[in-house]
Amino acid sequence: MSDGREGKRPRLFRMPTSRGRLRGDIDRELHFHIEGRIEELIASGLTREQAEREVAQRFGDMAAVRDQLEEIDTRTHRRHELGEWRGALARDFGQALRGILLRPAFAAVVVLTLGLGIGATTAIYALLDAVVLRPLPYPNAARLVYIEHPVPGVETNAKWRMSQAGYFFFRKNSKALEDIALYNKSEASLVTSDEAERVRAAAVSGNFFEVVGARPLLGRSFTDADNLPNAPQVAMLGYSFWRQRFNGDPRVVGTRVSLGSVPVTIVGVAPEKLDLPDYQAQVWIPLELDPNAPAVNSHYLDAIGRLRPGVMVAAAQADAARLTSRLPEEFPGAYTPGFMRESRFGVLVSPLRDRVIGAMSHTLWILLGAVAIVMLIAFANVANLFLVRAEARRRETDIRLALGADRLHLAGHYIAESMLLSLIGGVLAVGLAYGAIRFLLVLNPSSVPRLPEVSLGWQAGVVALVLSLGAGTVLGLLPLTRLALGGDRVSTLREGGRTQTASRGQLSARSALVVAQMALAVMLLAAAGLMVRSFQRLRSVQPGFDASGVLTFEVSLPYSRYAPNVRGPAAYLPVFRFHRDLEQQLAALPGVTSVGMTQALAMKDGDGCALVFVKGRDYTRETAPCVGTVIAGPGYFSTLGIAVRGRVPTWADVDDQTGAVVVSKALAQRMWPGEDPIGKELRPNGTGAPWYHVVGVTGDVLTRSLDQPPSEIVYYPMVPIQGAPLWSPPTHMTVAIRTRAPDPLSLAPAARRLVKALDREVPVANVQTMETIVEQSTARTTFAMLLLAVAGGMALVLSAVGIYGVISYTVAQRRPEIGVRMALGAQAAQVGRMVVAQSLRVATAGIAIGLLGAFATTRVLQSLLFGVSPTDPVTLGGVTVLLVMLGALAAYAPARRATKVDPVEVLRRE
Amino acid sequence: MAEDLDLLRGTLDLLILKTLSWGPMHGLAVLRWIEQVTEQRLQITEGALYPALHRMEQKGWLGADWGYSNRNREAKFYKLTAAGRRQLTAELSKWSRYTEAVNLLIAAEGAR
Repeated sequence: MSDGREGKRPRLFRMPTSRGRLRGDIDRELHFHIEGRIEELIASGLTREQAEREVAQRFGDMAAVRDQLEEIDTRTHRRHELGEWRGALARDFGQALRGILLRPAFAAVVVLTLGLGIGATTAIYALLDAVVLRPLPYPNAARLVYIEHPVPGVETNAKWRMSQAGYFFFRKNSKALEDIALYNKSEASLVTSDEAERVRAAAVSGNFFEVVGARPLLGRSFTDADNLPNAPQVAMLGYSFWRQRFNGDPRVVGTRVSLGSVPVTIVGVAPEKLDLPDYQAQVWIPLELDPNAPAVNSHYLDAIGRLRPGVMVAAAQADAARLTSRLPEEFPGAYTPGFMRESRFGVLVSPLRDRVIGAMSHTLWILLGAVAIVMLIAFANVANLFLVRAEARRRETDIRLALGADRLHLAGHYIAESMLLSLIGGVLAVGLAYGAIRFLLVLNPSSVPRLPEVSLGWQAGVVALVLSLGAGTVLGLLPLTRLALGGDRVSTLREGGRTQTASRGQLSARSALVVAQMALAVMLLAAAGLMVRSFQRLRSVQPGFDASGVLTFEVSLPYSRYAPNVRGPAAYLPVFRFHRDLEQQLAALPGVTSVGMTQALAMKDGDGCALVFVKGRDYTRETAPCVGTVIAGPGYFSTLGIAVRGRVPTWADVDDQTGAVVVSKALAQRMWPGEDPIGKELRPNGTGAPWYHVVGVTGDVLTRSLDQPPSEIVYYPMVPIQGAPLWSPPTHMTVAIRTRAPDPLSLAPAARRLVKALDREVPVANVQTMETIVEQSTARTTFAMLLLAVAGGMALVLSAVGIYGVISYTVAQRRPEIGVRMALGAQAAQVGRMVVAQSLRVATAGIAIGLLGAFATTRVLQSLLFGVSPTDPVTLGGVTVLLVMLGALAAYAPARRATKVDPVEVLRRE
Repeated sequence: MAEDLDLLRGTLDLLILKTLSWGPMHGLAVLRWIEQVTEQRLQITEGALYPALHRMEQKGWLGADWGYSNRNREAKFYKLTAAGRRQLTAELSKWSRYTEAVNLLIAAEGAR
């Protein structure tokens, strides 16, 4: 290309900036050639005209040659430019690298601070991306909606699922939905030759796969016919379960296994990554759905609808509302006008994804905001460092400029350095984010939906890259603000850099950064503080039971053997005997003080809702209140430590069907305000004898979660009273064991052995302590609190570093002034106070702005708070005190240094 | 006028490189040199020469510099770069291997 010698580059490449230039060069070259030829020919005796004709003829198509040359030269030029640009880049980065290696401490602080800030943001973004932003893993995800029935008349936020009758009615008549599929999360025991294993089962309608847009990997999926009662028993295997349990053997299709004591044929294998929304199914089974069954007001089915193409959710909502209002005329027996009115039975159609993510979306956005604030604070620190650096290099820059350095080139030099540091910080950030995500997956917070889908995807990588590039650009441009402004370089040079007082502009820019930092820290710490207070409040709530020292697990009795097809009390005998035997044998284990069982464990299962009729009140089916209805064994109250006034039913009560029930205090107060509930009579579902009679009243019990009011519950016995067999035998129960052992889980193996000895086909599932269950009910608060506390802590440390840095720097800058002051008689204490006062001024300004910001923004936390107002004065006051102390502390060391200034030495140096 | 020899494909590069190995020249000089040395037997058109020069410049075999001809006119001078020199060596050896092979074939035909 060129001979490479600097200064004598070929002219073609030094100047050509445009196509016109290239064309001009070509023209000149060809012109020279043609002229030379013509002269040659004239010399040999031709006339000029003849010579011109001869040359043109020889040359051929001149325009074509010219175009060809231009094309070649353009390409040459482009390649050359790229080469130059690459060279400059390599030079700048090489210099930057050397600069970094010369100042490793500076580089390390910058990289670490940026890495921490960007890493935290990247991690939370990855979480938000996987949980909230990414569509659900269904091909038709965008068109899937969830359908449910809000019943504000029953309970403020209660929503019921779909009923079987409603399903058939909606599916047939909906204009906005193409189709509706149903599902239920359930569990079943898969029995093989050696052991009974409890598996997570997805019970679905025959069209589920088609509605979500999935095809079976092997075999077939279900059809509507599989849902009919008395259809042959079939099942599909979930992908991972098939791989693990059956080694991915395709021959498993067509074989038979025992599922819930019933032989079923495996007809297919589900595709990879197909699950129910937020539920990893191991086995898929058809729901039993009977289109000819009489309509029953029983809402137990999750419903997914698929919108017709182009139909909006709002249109589907209107359509569903129209159908819902027709329910009373279609099914007069199940949906009476009174019921519709009292329960305020409605319908809600929402995007399926919103439904799956629920409130976590809000929490994650708040957390992203929090880590973004941490990142800004971290960035402010780094910006401050760069400003100090720029100040120190002011002379170097000025000399370079005075010697004629190109401003653009200088800018490239600075940006290369900051870019390199930021990119290294970005790499560190990705590493930190990866670690944070792994840690989170290990913690496995139950409050985060779709957790198995969380990973550090390329989207998070892009976020980290963009943030580092942005940081690099801004940091590189910071020292250039001076260049752009021009400034009088000569005067700086003339000063000889002796009185290196930072320009007023620089110092105020640095103070402004620290004020902003403090303000952001105040907001973040206020948020963290509010969460901590909420958490404390939640933890100090008396749930009405004692969760410590209690082990719980579930047992499921095979329906076919334990719920025989007979009527009357005999139908309950097998279940009754099993549970009584189990309770007695568990109670005999060493260390066990009490054993109880229930169909709906507090804090874990919903209490359900059934109408209750009270003797002496003229409730009708329309006016009777709907209250929590829980079947509980005799030992339940003492095991959970629920205080009961009166007496607790015994096994004899159950056996003799005396109809003794316990009610919760909240229910008693509503039904019989000011009266003693003991001895009152009530019954579910229907008026007139036989009545159950209340023998005991519990204290206030919280069964939904710690931030909900006490529950209204009737605790019914396992066997209904004679003449009113209203519920099926309770084959699925949760057993609770109170033990003196320090770790309740240590009882689990013995409990498993006992259950297996009683019936080897009965699986034990969901073994966990009651404390874990209670913790899960506050999991969202705990999760938000922990992450906000971590963010707040980081903000605190980073701001401390920031304010310390600025005060420390000012003291160093003001050494001459301090020296003069001391020479004029100022006391060390006065000087110290001056420094601390300066720090406090900065801190106070930051705190004031931060408090205003906190007042304006903490409202977004409202839904996460419990028992604390978003502007809780204790929290805000605490944060203020904390940061004032921080301001004073950060000034301590610089103040001490200021008092040690030796006036003589300083004055001599001046 | 001597009989024109059709220029063998690919030999133009070799001719230009060899010509420029004597020193920097502008396009017209290259053309004249080839014509003179080959006693007008090889006729190269401008339509072939200039694209070849520019292409070789792009490949980095030739460097180009604006200078003045002995009649004091502005002209673009080409010269060999180090890469061009290497290329010339390679082309020469390729050419001699090629002509050897062709000569062998011709000699063999004569012996029949």
